[in-house]
Amino acid sequence: MIVIAHVIAITCYIAAAGLAATPFARPIPAPVRGVVALLSVGVSVHLVALLAYAWQFGEPPLTGLGPALSTAAFLVAVTLLVVEMLAHEVSLTLVTAPMAALVTIGAIASPMLPSPTASTGGASWLGLHIALSFLGLAAFAAAAAAGVMYLLESRELKSRKFGAIFRFFPPLETLDRVNHLAIVCGWIALTLGTALAIGYAIVYRDADHLKVIWGIAAWGAVTALTVGRVVAGWQSARAAIWSSAFFIAIIALYVAFRAIGPRAGEFL
Amino acid sequence: MALIVAGVSHHTAPLELRERLVVAAGDTLAAAQRILDACHAREIVLLSTCNRTEVYAVEGDAEALPAIWELFSAQLGEDVSSIGYVRRDRDAVAHLYHVTAGMDSMILGEAQIHGQVRDAWERSRGASGAVLSRLFQSALMVGGRVRNETSIGRGAASTSSAAVQLASKIFGSLSGRSAMVLGAGEMAELALECLVNEGVRTAIVANRTHERAEALAERYQAQALHYDECWSRLPDVDLLICSTAAPHAIVGVQQIAGSLKGRGDRPLCILDIAVPRDVEPEVGALSNVFLYDLDDLRTVAASNLERRRDELPAAETVIGPEVEKYWEWLAGLAAVPVLRTFRTQMDQLRDSELTETLRKLDHLSPRDREAIEHFSRALMNKFLHEPSVRLRAAAANGRGLGVVDALRYLFDLRAADGASPAADDASESPAARER
Repeated sequence: MIVIAHVIAITCYIAAAGLAATPFARPIPAPVRGVVALLSVGVSVHLVALLAYAWQFGEPPLTGLGPALSTAAFLVAVTLLVVEMLAHEVSLTLVTAPMAALVTIGAIASPMLPSPTASTGGASWLGLHIALSFLGLAAFAAAAAAGVMYLLESRELKSRKFGAIFRFFPPLETLDRVNHLAIVCGWIALTLGTALAIGYAIVYRDADHLKVIWGIAAWGAVTALTVGRVVAGWQSARAAIWSSAFFIAIIALYVAFRAIGPRAGEFL
Repeated sequence: MALIVAGVSHHTAPLELRERLVVAAGDTLAAAQRILDACHAREIVLLSTCNRTEVYAVEGDAEALPAIWELFSAQLGEDVSSIGYVRRDRDAVAHLYHVTAGMDSMILGEAQIHGQVRDAWERSRGASGAVLSRLFQSALMVGGRVRNETSIGRGAASTSSAAVQLASKIFGSLSGRSAMVLGAGEMAELALECLVNEGVRTAIVANRTHERAEALAERYQAQALHYDECWSRLPDVDLLICSTAAPHAIVGVQQIAGSLKGRGDRPLCILDIAVPRDVEPEVGALSNVFLYDLDDLRTVAASNLERRRDELPAAETVIGPEVEKYWEWLAGLAAVPVLRTFRTQMDQLRDSELTETLRKLDHLSPRDREAIEHFSRALMNKFLHEPSVRLRAAAANGRGLGVVDALRYLFDLRAADGASPAADDASESPAARER
């Protein structure tokens, strides 16, 4: 049941991305309703999968590699759905929906089991830390997606090529605002998540070096972006470049740390 | 009765002729009434824009076209029939649907015509009736559908709207933005007007001749600057429009690069609409600077028009069934008088046969005669009930025309007269006549 629901969610995310791409193939209006409907179905089914997991294992799907990735993908998809519904356009789906689908595929390819460390104590504390951290990472992913789109569109506009990107991407100003908002929201969520993690580590004397390094690196990256945007006045191309670069660096660090060898079945 | 449209448009006549046929908005009803009286039509709607002057008419007993051409020719001062066009019945319906959807416009898919058609109909209401009201209502609905269900109205199709589209791709809405116009000529004025209409907050006009800049700025509540002062204001500007008559580039990399330091990462959009160009092409390579010239604007407009043309088949799929739908409604309208004629004719037949029969049976008492007459009426009503019900049903579900024709043929129905369109005989209705 859990795996089937995940597969349906993946299908919906990929279908939403495919539908969002149709205006690039032929001159039709952006299919906003269709994309939002597909994303809504995907998110709903994904939620059912996560609830089923919680019911089966008696804890939220936050610990363990599979559940953690699934929750992260769910939050990315929810963020995307909210942004698309508010903005009434679908181009962010082109980048973010495949991202959510890939992370969900990673989730079902991993063991869908809770991590044994979760029951050592302070589970709700830990759960809140993980939830906030994933929320922050989802916002970070949205900022990076908006940044990539900004760079693509900016390149097309500067080169005076008025193709599909020119026609169907939202204005640069909109992408810049999404990037700004996502970075600030991501920073708030990640800061709270990191503070809870520090508290948890102090109280329960339980910390994993790789998790600590990666968590601090992610928080540091989003903090640097927030300082750049809010204090130093970064915007437009500079903000887009740095948010994409930092996000790619954090993902690369995660991949590298997993290669070093975390405990089997854990997020890190 | 026939539905007819006669007119002159940008397809058939140049501007110098079209402008002489334009009817001012306030004179529309009076002009429509004049045409109505002159051609003895039942209904008239007059549509007059800068690109077309058209008369939609429901003809009465006489043909309306000669009188329409006569009135047009009188206004133009020369024979108009050689530059005019006529569409009848179904073609007239399809023509109005195309016009309302912007498919017959000079700039394909332009939206302004939708409002102009609505205004024309509303202004001509005193001269129009059920047939044209229904036609214009459906045309406005069809125009809306074509715009919503296809991309025929998407993208800028003129250079000025392409300029707005390009700037909007960078800034989203232009409302609240700050713009500077270099130059105070005709093109600069057009650009300024366009910007003010888009809600630009601060507009600055800079020109070598300060008086001209001041005059232009005053007209659009903008601020006039001496040409030499303008560079110091550039860091605050989002949109720079260059339209001077300078024979060489006057905006170089140094000037723009200098202003970029004071503006952070904010993008600067430069629209160089001057010929020869005012801005060195190298400026476009600067970070956060988006430079476009007249060729770029034309490219955007042309590619949008091309895409609009691609939408024509999709628009036709909306219009085709709607024309049929209107036509079937008109056919239903035609069924009512035919039914009335049918019953009248049958009753006359019954009456004459009854009189003949009673004449032969003169021994019958008045009571018996009354009984026979009652019997003849009852029998005829029984006979006619089912055909009447079925004809009404056929008209309601859009199959009225064929049945009306069959009825007319089988019973050799003659024309009936009637004052309202609904009372016109089917043989003269546009729907029936086309058959």
